[in-house]
Amino acid sequence: MQTVRPGRLRLLFALFAVASLVLAGRLAYWQTFGRAALLARATDQVRSDLVVAAQRGVIRDRNGAILATTVQLRSLYALPSRIPDKAVAAQELGVLLGRDPAPIRALLESGAEWLYVQRWLPEEAASAIAALNIPGLGFQTEPKRLYPNDAIGAAVLGFVNDDGQGVNGVEGYYDAMLRGTDGRLVVERDPANRDLAVGLREAVAPRDGADLTLTIDLVAQTAAERELAAAMKKEHATSGSILVVDPADGSIRALASAPTYDPSAVRLADPEALRDRAIAWPYEPGSTMKAVTIAAALNEHLVRPSDSYTDVGYTIVGGRRLNNALGKAYGPTTVSQILERSLNAGAAWVGTKVGAQRLGDYFHLFGFGRPTEVDLAGEVSGTVRPLAEWYPVDVGTASFGQGVSVTPLQLAMAYAAIANGGTLYRPYVVASRRDADGEHRTAPVAVSHAITPDTAATLRSMLLSTVDIGIAHNAAIAGFSVAGKTGTAQIAGPDGSYVDDLYVSSFAGFFPADDPKYVVLVVLDKPDSRLLGTVTATDAFKGVAQDILRYARIQPDRRP
Amino acid sequence: MITAQAVPLKWGTSAAGKARRSRRGGSTVARPHRLAIGRTPAVAAVRAASWDLRIFGLAIAAIAFSFALAVVYVSQTTALSVAGYEVQKLAAQRDELRRQISLLDVQSARLDSPARIAADAQRLGMVHARYVPLIPAQPLIAKR
Repeated sequence: MQTVRPGRLRLLFALFAVASLVLAGRLAYWQTFGRAALLARATDQVRSDLVVAAQRGVIRDRNGAILATTVQLRSLYALPSRIPDKAVAAQELGVLLGRDPAPIRALLESGAEWLYVQRWLPEEAASAIAALNIPGLGFQTEPKRLYPNDAIGAAVLGFVNDDGQGVNGVEGYYDAMLRGTDGRLVVERDPANRDLAVGLREAVAPRDGADLTLTIDLVAQTAAERELAAAMKKEHATSGSILVVDPADGSIRALASAPTYDPSAVRLADPEALRDRAIAWPYEPGSTMKAVTIAAALNEHLVRPSDSYTDVGYTIVGGRRLNNALGKAYGPTTVSQILERSLNAGAAWVGTKVGAQRLGDYFHLFGFGRPTEVDLAGEVSGTVRPLAEWYPVDVGTASFGQGVSVTPLQLAMAYAAIANGGTLYRPYVVASRRDADGEHRTAPVAVSHAITPDTAATLRSMLLSTVDIGIAHNAAIAGFSVAGKTGTAQIAGPDGSYVDDLYVSSFAGFFPADDPKYVVLVVLDKPDSRLLGTVTATDAFKGVAQDILRYARIQPDRRP
Repeated sequence: MITAQAVPLKWGTSAAGKARRSRRGGSTVARPHRLAIGRTPAVAAVRAASWDLRIFGLAIAAIAFSFALAVVYVSQTTALSVAGYEVQKLAAQRDELRRQISLLDVQSARLDSPARIAADAQRLGMVHARYVPLIPAQPLIAKR
């Protein structure tokens, strides 16, 4: 019988003892010094720290119609290695997505472990793909800003880029307010990635963005966009804008800009289309400015509507000859007829009576040369040069709207001041916002009192004559009194001199003339009809005005 | 002869107890006399046994209570977990319904869009009315 030597037993015992000591020491280490690290690693495996995205606010028109909203849409992703037959899958996806299957197949065979096949799928397509039940394909919901009216109101609304940031228009101006504040959720999850009710849970609720209600009326907006598109098409104009303003408080009822874009598909848009012409297009207004010049003269009691001068077809100001359009002479002419016939020489005659200093002051009182501070992103100020930089002739040219630049919105607000009795309001598009604290309404802000109510009333009757018996008769609407003024302005080239045969045609008007409810401005850049571009502008004005009159159920104030 | 050694008194088994009893001058022989005077050994034995039973019962009860407590805790935790999963499922359903509502809102807004209605009307052969005759309210009122 073989016996084990005691020495070997002792050695074995010693080995076990040492091993036990090492293990005990290691255990002690993990229980003391290494505990925190071990605990952190274990916690990391089950804990998820998520950002809970705040819902971007909804934008509605004044009647509650949705103009912009955020919806969670399904995006299709693929784990190509798990797709059994990529060719068949690509074929089926191509049919349902309305795409060529070849690029989809190339995508699936690209070797990527995970990829998006298509983001933000239409709901019908997503449901159809889900029904196919192809292994390796899955859906992930992602927020997408939708604009149910497509390109209607794009200039007012702006858009949201892929980073979720609002750009241009209301989306840009009110981005922080619309976006809200993201929340946070720290929670433990099981292996199936489900939240555990028992365990760590820290939650900071997201604060959703405010909902905005605009002053925009979708019906008026649609009419403005339709008429602008028709005018642009007819005249092959390079750009244009139509504005509808409520003169009583400065709220904007419609704002159209062309060229335009679909805010849901900004990537396809021409970059030039992203510029809102109504607020970011300074142009020389031409004859529409004559109303402002005459307003200044009437307000300073320098002229009366019946005052007359002899029109010889031109006038000399600062040693320069300023001609009427086509150089036509009219003989004895009243101040009212200056507007009715749109006489440059007459406007310059009135302008020289007012003087450069006062004319500049009135330009500022009517809001020219500075931003209107409308609540839209991207506004420019236009240019009224400082008086020290005016040449003697400038008082004459500025009187009929050359040598100064304005934005369509500035001009519309100036006409709104004439329409409402002389008060220049700050224009605005957001009527109210609703957030967690309740509803906040926007109060109209009077910027200045440019002219007295009497002056405004006198000017309104002069502008009414301009439509009834004057140059703007094409803007007349049967059954309603319409006041307004056409404008045909030359365009300055890069060298500062005016370009031959290129004009900006416009019409600014309001209705009903005695108690104006709406101001409408139409501006077209470089119309094909050149000097007759104002006819198209007045046609567009009428189209918008007739829709609004019917829609707003405004009673006729004249016999048709 | 009944001796005290036959009765397993609680304190009788320890060495310290024996020493205490030796120091008091008594012997194990004297104890039957005292027991005989106060209470019989049988009664003492029964009482001691009863005491032990009580302790045993108490221990069993404590164990049973702890077990029941543990079972309740585990069942509550399990129920909470199940409820948590149920809540999560319902929250997912709620989110999906909200998503569907917002999609329907968008669809409704699309259908209500004046531009879409105008386009559909145009497809049906209708044209935009340029002039709509309106009768002022004033003369009608005067005729009444």
